[in-house]
Amino acid sequence: EIHTNEKEVTEKEVTLHLLPGEQLLCEASTVLKYVQEDSCQRGIYGKLVCTDFKIAFLGDDESALDSDETQFKNKIIGENDITLHCVDQIYGVFDEKKKTLFGQLKKYPEKLIIHCKDLRVFHFCLRYTKEEEVKRIVSGIVHHTLATKRLKRLFLFSYATAVHSNTPTNPKNHTVMFDTLEDWCWELERTKGSMKYKAVSVNEGYKVCERLPAYFVVPAPLPEESVSRFQGHGIPIWCWSYHNGCALLKMSALPKEQDDGILQTHKNFLDGIYRVIHRPPYEIVKTEDLSSNFLSLPDIQTAYSKFKQLFLIDNSTEFWDTDIKWFSLLESSSWLDIIRRCLKKAIEVIECLDAQNTSVLLVEENASDLCCLVSSLVQVMMDPHCRTRAGFQSLVQKEWVAGGHCFLDRCNHLRQSDKEEVPVFLLFLDCVWQLVHQHPPAFEFTETYLTVLSDSLYIPIFSTFFFNSPHQKEMNLGREGQDAHSTPLHLLTVWDWSVQFESRAQALLQNPLYVEKPKLDKGQRKGTHLKHQRQLSLPLTQSKSSPKRGFFREETDHLIKNLLGKRISKLINYSDELQDSFREFYDSWHSKPADYHGLLLPHIEGPEIRVWAQRYLRWIPEAQILGGGAVAMTSRLVGMMEEVRSLQEKINERHHHQTALPAEAPSLLRSSARLSSLFPFALLQRHSSKPVLPTSGWKALGDEEDLARREDEFVDLGEV
Amino acid sequence: MWWGGRGQSFNIAPQKEEPEMGELEEDLNLSSLDPPVSEEWVYTCGQHWNGHNLASPVGEQILAWAPGVRKGLEPELPGTLICTNLRVTFQPCGWQRRQETPLSSDYDFALVNIGQLEAVSSLSRVQLHRPGSLLKFIPEEILIHGRDFRLLRVGFEAGGLEPQAFQVTMAIVQARAQSSQTQQYSGITLSKAGQSSGSRKSPIPLLETPEDWETERKKQGANSWRVSLVNERFDVATSLPRYFWVPNRTLDSEVRRAFGHFHQGRGPRLSWHHPGGSDLLRCGGFYTASDPNKEDIRSVESMLQAGHSDVVLVDTMDELPSLADVQLAHLRLRALCLPDSSVSEDKWLSALEGTRWLDYVRSCLRKASDISVLVTSRVRSVVLQERGDRDFNGLLSSLVQLLSAPEARTLLGFQSLVQREWVAAGHPFLTRLGVTGVSEKAPVFLLFLDCVWQLLQQFPAEFEFSEFFLLALHDSVRVPDTLTFLRDNPWERGKQSGQFNSYTQVYTPGYSHPPAGNSINSQLSVWDWDLRYSNEQILQFHNPGYDPEHCQDSWLPRQQRGLSAPTITGLQDELSRLQELIKKWTPRTSPEDRSQKGDPNPILSQSR
Repeated sequence: EIHTNEKEVTEKEVTLHLLPGEQLLCEASTVLKYVQEDSCQRGIYGKLVCTDFKIAFLGDDESALDSDETQFKNKIIGENDITLHCVDQIYGVFDEKKKTLFGQLKKYPEKLIIHCKDLRVFHFCLRYTKEEEVKRIVSGIVHHTLATKRLKRLFLFSYATAVHSNTPTNPKNHTVMFDTLEDWCWELERTKGSMKYKAVSVNEGYKVCERLPAYFVVPAPLPEESVSRFQGHGIPIWCWSYHNGCALLKMSALPKEQDDGILQTHKNFLDGIYRVIHRPPYEIVKTEDLSSNFLSLPDIQTAYSKFKQLFLIDNSTEFWDTDIKWFSLLESSSWLDIIRRCLKKAIEVIECLDAQNTSVLLVEENASDLCCLVSSLVQVMMDPHCRTRAGFQSLVQKEWVAGGHCFLDRCNHLRQSDKEEVPVFLLFLDCVWQLVHQHPPAFEFTETYLTVLSDSLYIPIFSTFFFNSPHQKEMNLGREGQDAHSTPLHLLTVWDWSVQFESRAQALLQNPLYVEKPKLDKGQRKGTHLKHQRQLSLPLTQSKSSPKRGFFREETDHLIKNLLGKRISKLINYSDELQDSFREFYDSWHSKPADYHGLLLPHIEGPEIRVWAQRYLRWIPEAQILGGGAVAMTSRLVGMMEEVRSLQEKINERHHHQTALPAEAPSLLRSSARLSSLFPFALLQRHSSKPVLPTSGWKALGDEEDLARREDEFVDLGEV
Repeated sequence: MWWGGRGQSFNIAPQKEEPEMGELEEDLNLSSLDPPVSEEWVYTCGQHWNGHNLASPVGEQILAWAPGVRKGLEPELPGTLICTNLRVTFQPCGWQRRQETPLSSDYDFALVNIGQLEAVSSLSRVQLHRPGSLLKFIPEEILIHGRDFRLLRVGFEAGGLEPQAFQVTMAIVQARAQSSQTQQYSGITLSKAGQSSGSRKSPIPLLETPEDWETERKKQGANSWRVSLVNERFDVATSLPRYFWVPNRTLDSEVRRAFGHFHQGRGPRLSWHHPGGSDLLRCGGFYTASDPNKEDIRSVESMLQAGHSDVVLVDTMDELPSLADVQLAHLRLRALCLPDSSVSEDKWLSALEGTRWLDYVRSCLRKASDISVLVTSRVRSVVLQERGDRDFNGLLSSLVQLLSAPEARTLLGFQSLVQREWVAAGHPFLTRLGVTGVSEKAPVFLLFLDCVWQLLQQFPAEFEFSEFFLLALHDSVRVPDTLTFLRDNPWERGKQSGQFNSYTQVYTPGYSHPPAGNSINSQLSVWDWDLRYSNEQILQFHNPGYDPEHCQDSWLPRQQRGLSAPTITGLQDELSRLQELIKKWTPRTSPEDRSQKGDPNPILSQSR
């Protein structure tokens, strides 16, 4: 039994901030935490604490860091906090040898190394700590992070119970949660799919299937009883409709059977289903079996575990050693290639929907992993609404949360099975990052948004990523509600960003380059935007309107189809011939200027798939460029937008009151500090031996003697 | 960035055309259909030729042509393959060379730019090297590999036109051979521009007069240095410029003596004076067979130390790749980047690593940044010593200046830097780029440009020039317009400029005063960008993200454009427009009136 003995929390550290419901489990003092600063290491003494929510280090001289360094501060997770779910691997150093720690420990290490899932690496030296404290803290940390947990023991529930009395915040901020019938109907309306598809409530109370959400959308003529026939398997479920009427559907495959009789029943059932969706007014449907000819989950798992090792670096020597073989190491992990294949698959599907006027049916065993990935990627690329923040969040709700992606298993939150731990959602975020990186003006959110979203996967106060399905969430909430209280627990959603960030920090999630579409459909306008962007009125350079848009064309399309009798109800499978049409589609899109409010395709050639530096490299001081990177451009750009806005304001004022106000020239506000290329992260590594390009001429700095005396920011490099 | 990319390149034909159709006609033996209306029109249409337009410099002669289809890229384009005495060009049907989009001369290959030529038929595929190499079949397709990474694939049509296909192929082989035999790269295309520019002043100092050197010396504040005239007749070293900087206290006779003990007479000279007091020098290796007396040793020492108590002597070649390494890496890189590269996408990264090109870029940058720390923060004088003093010394010294001196990162500063450290310092461009066919080919200059590009990538707000500018400079290396890059040393360049001047004296109606050949300033250099690039393109040389606080006088006037996107360029236009408006309304805004307002901007305020 592990030491959960309660201590007088109030008497303890004032600096230890506990969340409501959070309990201190064990602690150790005079722990030395190593701080990486390029080649040299120094340490900070402090206290190492383990609660039922996080592992925290409380440095003795924390005061200096607190003030201005951490503007992009997370209100829940401090700089030295590791949530228990964020711990990836724990190592102990015994006599200079590094060993993985797990289970019952016989010996206690002199040094503790914690690798986090957000790729931070912590080194704690326990040499100066009392022996019994070492035993307690090490076994405590190992137990609470690595041992198998029950779902109900998640901190999520303690937190929710503790804050229960509090009035729930307004969490939705325009995100559609897809937990009601209305939400699905709204989405059908928005995509103009309501003619051919209907939202059904056959699974209300999860009577039919626990894998499916309570409400979902199926082809209109599909009889509802067929849904229950194979517990929701073999049913085409609607994901999204394109404006030409084609739809993206998904289906969980029927269970594999040996018995010929059962197979025959399956076949008959599926034939019946296909007859329904091949009948007019439906387009031809192509099936895309994601279980074969595509990535497998073990592929993804292996690739990521190799890939992340490139960034979990213990010291700078290791960094420079791997640096020489960086590209081949990167390639051998094949993570980037997996990203490419996902993007390519999405483009193939898009080619069917857009160029061939064909609906696409994605088939997977449970329709909850690669189906989610491919269908959300397709929507991000095809539907500009999904590139707004509210739209993107709704998309994640629709395809991942309601779609039944097993977050609990895939993130291994309960430490039940390492085999199930596959970073499918992270892969999706990385694919989206490639798009954001290649087409920044098309997205309302920034890469920082994606990074903090990926971090939020491991914060167990948000319900979003801590259940395997809507059914599981409902079950666990309901029971709790009946037992203890009259009302069900209120769980936070991750989309309530104000829980994690102050509004100043939240501004970094918003892309200043994003310009709303000039003319918006009323139903589509959900996102919130910075006020000044509308005033800017900068027209887009190439705003071409999509030629296929509008009713007229859609209508005639159908007319032609019906007249010509193009009713081929045959399953067409992918072939080499398709490879050519893919290439043609891809090349022709890229040969035209991009419309940021239309279809958006990524480049997928070898050099174009990049490493998501902000997420993966942010904790490595060697990898940051002070005063450089895309951040330098962005901050300059934001400064100019601000200036334009203020000038515009002034002009407007003058137009209205010709009798001028006191002349107030634009204030050229620029940053005096140089931002890191990994901004807003990596703020804490201040000392860098890398030569920084001086910005001002030397003449401004005074005479030669003065300069000679100056000890610059440059660090002694030794004789060359 | 919003331009460029893999496999894209820009190679633009001269644009300063004079509306003198008569002469053009004679030269080309072609008939024009319509009289030109305006200068622009002439540019637009150039020559009407078989339905195709060829904007053509004077002196260009069409040697052969054949109808063909551009292949390899979608869509395939029908058109005509033309070989002239200057270039090979493909003219798509119905395609008009327009002023606004001169970029579309993607299909121009200067003869010197042609690296490989392949003729393909269904039976065989041969490389054509020499004029003697006889083509034994009618080619169905011809592949032209540009040295600048481009590839042009033209398929010929069957049906009676086979002789033409054969002719044009052979013509290309011959023209290419001739152009490299006689080394007549300059002149022809220049005659026209030479007249029009008259006594035009070079946009940057070419460092061919003592005055240029004196001005630059003063600008750097190198007070303990003077311009030496000792090499005015190139009798100390032909590879050195006529003028260079030596310590004040050293006499010319000492310089002459001391330089004799260095490889090819390239003794220590000042490259850059750091305002903090340290100096960056470069010199060749010690001449091994020399037997210096005491006095010589003393003058060599005093020249190396140049008044400093201690000086760091850096062996340039230490930790840097050899010339052969660079050449090999570049060949591999080119093979990888050609459109028909066989490397699959998932193996691209390791193939890139395998070229080692980036490795070499890295070692150059690392060494340069080490030296820059020495020179700037530790205020130590550094002497770069390389045996030949004509390759990596120039590369390192330029990089150090780019890292340490903000002035070198302006457009003007960078061009003077290249002119001083590469052109004047005698980098053997012709040999290194392999135009002469001599061995010792190694694209050191291109390696340097790649280093600069990396810096530009990493510090996008610190450079006044853009990626596009670097690309233009990269492409200009092989354009046979100017002498800048097409000579091995200043002496040859000087010799040539005499010949060169004769081209400006071609009689032309309308110009009564051809400039006298004595003015050295009338020589055109690669820096006369307006000869080859449109205003629109020259505007793109400018990095819109550059912080104008760093540069006092901007090199380019900013133009207003009608359309603006939410890009930096768009905002800048908007900004200047609005500022104009503000100025109109408030005629008297003194700087004192400017009050600081609260900053509503999250990113900027946070960084303070």
